[in-house]
Order: sequence, then structure tokens, then C-alpha cells
Amino acid sequence: MMGLLTGKRVFSIMALCMMVGLLLLPIVVALPSPAIGEEAPAGDAAKKDGDKVEKGRDVYYKTEGIVVGAPAPKTVDGPRDYPRYNFESRVLLWFANQQHLYYGSFVLAVPIFCMIIEFMGVVTKDKALAKRYDQLAYDFIKISLTAYSLTAILGGILIFTFLTLYPAFFSYLSGIFRPVMHIYALMFVAESGTLYIYYYGWDKMKEGFLKWIHLSMSVILNIIGTLLMFLANSWIGFMMSPAGVDEQGRYLGNIWHVIHTALWNPLNLHRILGNMAFGGGVVAAYAAYKFLAAKTEEDRAHYDWMGYIAMALGVAFLIPLPFAGYWLMREVYAYRQQMGITLMGGLLAWLFIIQATMIGILFLSTNYYLWQAMGRMRGAEKYQRYIKYLVFLLACGYMVFITPHTMVMSPAELKAMGGQQHPVLGNYGVMSAKNGGINVIITTTVLSFVWYMRGNKVSTVSWAKFGNIFMGVFFACAYINIIWLAIYGYYIPANVRVGLSVPQVATTLSCLFFMFALNSFMMKGAKQMGPIEWGKISARSQYALIMLATAFTWMMGLMGYIRSSVRLFWHVNEIMRDNSPWAYTHTVGFAANMISFNVLFFWITILFVFWLGSLTAKKVPVEAKAGIPGSVPQPAASH
Amino acid sequence: MSALNNPVIAVIVSLIIAVGYFTLVDHYLMDMQGLDYWYLFRQ
Repeated sequence: MMGLLTGKRVFSIMALCMMVGLLLLPIVVALPSPAIGEEAPAGDAAKKDGDKVEKGRDVYYKTEGIVVGAPAPKTVDGPRDYPRYNFESRVLLWFANQQHLYYGSFVLAVPIFCMIIEFMGVVTKDKALAKRYDQLAYDFIKISLTAYSLTAILGGILIFTFLTLYPAFFSYLSGIFRPVMHIYALMFVAESGTLYIYYYGWDKMKEGFLKWIHLSMSVILNIIGTLLMFLANSWIGFMMSPAGVDEQGRYLGNIWHVIHTALWNPLNLHRILGNMAFGGGVVAAYAAYKFLAAKTEEDRAHYDWMGYIAMALGVAFLIPLPFAGYWLMREVYAYRQQMGITLMGGLLAWLFIIQATMIGILFLSTNYYLWQAMGRMRGAEKYQRYIKYLVFLLACGYMVFITPHTMVMSPAELKAMGGQQHPVLGNYGVMSAKNGGINVIITTTVLSFVWYMRGNKVSTVSWAKFGNIFMGVFFACAYINIIWLAIYGYYIPANVRVGLSVPQVATTLSCLFFMFALNSFMMKGAKQMGPIEWGKISARSQYALIMLATAFTWMMGLMGYIRSSVRLFWHVNEIMRDNSPWAYTHTVGFAANMISFNVLFFWITILFVFWLGSLTAKKVPVEAKAGIPGSVPQPAASH
Repeated sequence: MSALNNPVIAVIVSLIIAVGYFTLVDHYLMDMQGLDYWYLFRQ
């Protein structure tokens, strides 16, 4: 058998085994090794010595455990606990954290895209299309490679910032997470090793069995990346909803309790989806930039296609994102009701109005792009006259979604309006209406996607007429059901009303899954009115992609700030108090400026990354072919 | 199948399926949460 394997195959299998080994290494290292007595719990040692074993009660799990850690330090404002430069330490940390998070999200999301696109390339039967997918996946990973180095540098800066400005807090946190700190570091090594082999092995493993090995590497790369993110999420989960420690903050010896806090899983899901949507947005913006700067029809076609794929992947993860957000908020309320009220009904509520505005902008930009994109296919004109109705639905949903419940007003304004709430518009400021608003927006986006997918096709199945009518009726009934449930919520008590969001979400998801499936069945073997003319799209559409990416970036900054601010004056909620002079909540204006600065900085640096990528691209030996207008360029044979 | 391609029949059949489906979704998803979808109508 071994004789049949070529040297390349042996090497690639060895590389794959090495990656699996790297993936498992942290777990092996984490196993206790009582034989050599390294991991003997402190409690056991105490027993041997005949000392009294001190026990503590877990603040979240309510289980008893042996105290093995020091209590959370009671910090005081001064150079010992809070050394500082002549600047607000929190702002410096905010900046370092946010930049690391932006790049971290990007480099975790893009390999997932790569995996999906490479897989599509492997399974597709059309060889030309397979080659295009492969080239696209390679383009994606190339962009993320430089960003990966920057992520590591920013991670280093973040640790130095913590050590320099918040030594007491960082020391406590790293003490609590000590049992998994080395796992995190080893995972990082495994991620780097896998990424470099995956990238540099692309050409060597481009066909047959080796291609499957290469694809398997991308799966391992993404498993490692996801585990890394889960570990990082456990730190913020612990800070918001601590577990595994007693009320003094003493570690009780169960690291799983520390990691698996009340908010860990909702945060994990929310961040995976958020990272994917963000990564899609950034790659789409890259493609848009390259499209706008393209000199040839061939390049324009390629980057138009790239932008569309990135946008579609990003939006595929954006659609379930609000639902993951609802789950997170539900868990926040379940953990501490007061925390939920601070977020959505108190100090930070106004930021949620800004968030709603940004979410609306994301969906409006997506729809606008899809409508513009229909311009590049013959036959899609038939939908143009209906777009105004979609605009109407989106505008109505958006206006309801962003209506605040109450506003900060002067006494004169309050008097003129007749109270805290506007007599008419005030009705739209409640969750019942907002749930209806966002579900109308998402359902309309699904409808735009369905129209786009069937733009240049005419179904040839015998039941096409029924299929079209059924689709129309199903969407109409879905809208009616969403709006009905929103109105119904006004007439029933709050404890029943809260449950209505579930059927509303189910209605939207039904449209997404059933109508996409129905459309795919109907379009099987459909008559094409003409090919999709990639590159024949308005420049406006590309600005919509850039808008989409910027809105993603801004919203990520905003939501990160909200999530972090909800701890108020606590480093670790109810365990370790923040006694620095900056333990207060900034004004909305200051926060917005800070978020904008972070967004601007990220985009300037990512442009630098794109520029670096373009330097490499210039060295690629591309075949000098005459561009065929409207066709997608063939990728180079090698990288 | 040809009868279903008649627009009037298609609309009627589609309406029955869609309205029935969404009513079931509303009822059972509220029921799963221990809540009564028909609360207002029972008062």
C-alpha cells in the first residue's frame, strides 16, 4: 500500500497527522499527571499535611469546592494597581482590545470562507467553475495571511497594555485561567503552523487525493481557530457572569465551571456569526475596492464575482445574527435582570437605538446591492417594477425598528409632546413593534435574494405556475403573520407577549428555508434568459458593499462597547470592583467618537494589508489573454 | 397537477396551506413555551 503512495502523498498525510497532533497536544498537556505529582490539587496537599481544608460555594453553580486560589484583589486607585500615562488608561485598553478583536475576527472568519469555497470547488463538476472557486479561496486566504501577523502583533500589544495599565486585574484573571493559559498559547502555535502549511501547500496539493488532504487541513485550521475564540470568549464570559469562584473570587478548582459561564455559549454563537458576517463584509469591501480600481473588463468581472460571493456568505450569517443576539439578551436577563435592564432599558438603552439603526443600514445596503446586481442579468427586469414595494416594506420596518421608547427632552419639549412618549410614535418604541419591524426587514431581504437567484431564469417544471403563486402567497401570509403577532402583542399581558417573538422568528426562518428550497427545485433545469454578465454592474453597488463593511465594523465596535460597559464599575461582575478613576460610563457622544476612531484606524490599516496583498499579486504569472467582456477571468495555473 | 396550475385553485390551495402552517407555528411555538397563543380570545 505504501508503495502506491507518492512522496507528496506521504508528506501531506504526515502534515495532516501533525496538525491533528497539534490540535490534540493542548488536551494531552492539560491532562493531570498525578504519577509525577505535578497537578496534585492544593486540597490534596493540604489533606496530607493535616491542615484544615477550606471550602467555598460557587457563585453561579452553587456547588461546593475546595478553595485553591487567592481572593480577587481589592484594588485602590494608585500607581500600584493602576499605573498610568497622562492619558485615560481605559481608552488605551479599549483601542488595543478593539483592534485586536477586529483583526482576530477577520482571520478567524476568512479561513471558514476559504473552507466553504474550496469545498465548493472540489465538489463542483464544472472544471472551469471549480478552478475559479479554487482561485477565489486562495485569494481569500492570501488576504488573511498578512492580517494574521497583524493580529498576533496586536495581541502582544494588548497583553502589554494590560500588564502596564491594569496589572492587578490582569494578574487575577490570568491566575484564574492559569490551567488553560498554556492551552491557548499552544492552540495559537497550532493555528499558525496549520495556516502556513495550508497556504504554502496550496499549489503542491491542488489535485485528486492531495486536494482532499488540503481541504481537511482547512477543517482542522477552522476547528483550532474556533476553539481559540471559545477560550477567549470564556474570559469575557467570566468577567460578565463569573462562575467557578466563590463570592470572594477564589478559584474552586473546577476550570470547566470558570469557562462554562452563563453567557459563554450565547457569546460563542453570537461571535461566530458576527465574525463571519464581518469577514464577509471586509472581503466584499476589498473586492469592491479592486472592482472600482480595475482597469480591464476581466478584472472587473472577477472582482464583481468575488464581491458577490463574499457578500452572500456574509449576509447568510447576518440573517441569523439578530436571533443569536436575542438569545444572548435572554440569557443576560436570566442571569441578572438588572443587567438586562441596564442594557436595554436604562443607561445603555440609547446605544441600542444606534445599534438598531446600524442593523437597518446593513439590511438596506444588502437589499440595495441585490437590486443593483439584478442589472447584470438579462430577464431580471421583470422584478424592477416591484422593487418600490420592497423599499416601502423596508422603510416601514426600519422606521419602527429605530423608534426610541422615550427620549431625553427639555421640560418645554416634554410639555409640547404631552409626556415622555409621543402619543402616536411612542407606540412603536416597544419590543412588540420592533420584533415585527426587524422580521419584516429580514423577510424582505430573503425575498430580494429569491428574486436575485431566479433573476435570469424561467422555471420549466410542470407545476411552475402553482409554485410561483404558492411562493407569493406564502410570503404574503408570512408578512401578515409577522405584523399580526406584532399588533397582537399590544393586547395581551407582558408575560405572554414575550413568547410571541419565537413564532415571529420561526415565520422569517420558514421563508428563508422553505422558499430557498422551493426556488431551487423550481429552478432545476430552468431556461436561462442569458448569462450573468459579471462586471456589468453599477459603481453604486460597490459603494453599497463598502457601506456594508463599514457598518459591520462600526456595529461591532458599538456592541463590544455595550457588552463591556454593562459591567459598570466592576472588572469582574460582583467579584472584583474597578477602583480606577475611569470606572464610570462614558457619554454616548464620547463612545461614538471612540468607536469611529477605531473603525477609521482599522480601515486605514486593512487598506495597508490590501496594498501588501496587491504587491504579491503583481508577481503572479497570469496568462496574457484577451479579456472576453462579461466573462470571468481564468485564474493562473499556479500561485 | 394541471388543476393546480389554475390561478384561482392555486391561490386557494396556497392560502389553505400557508394560513394553516402559520397558525400551527404560532400555536405550537407558544405552547412549547408554556404560553397560550389564544389568550385574548379565551378572555
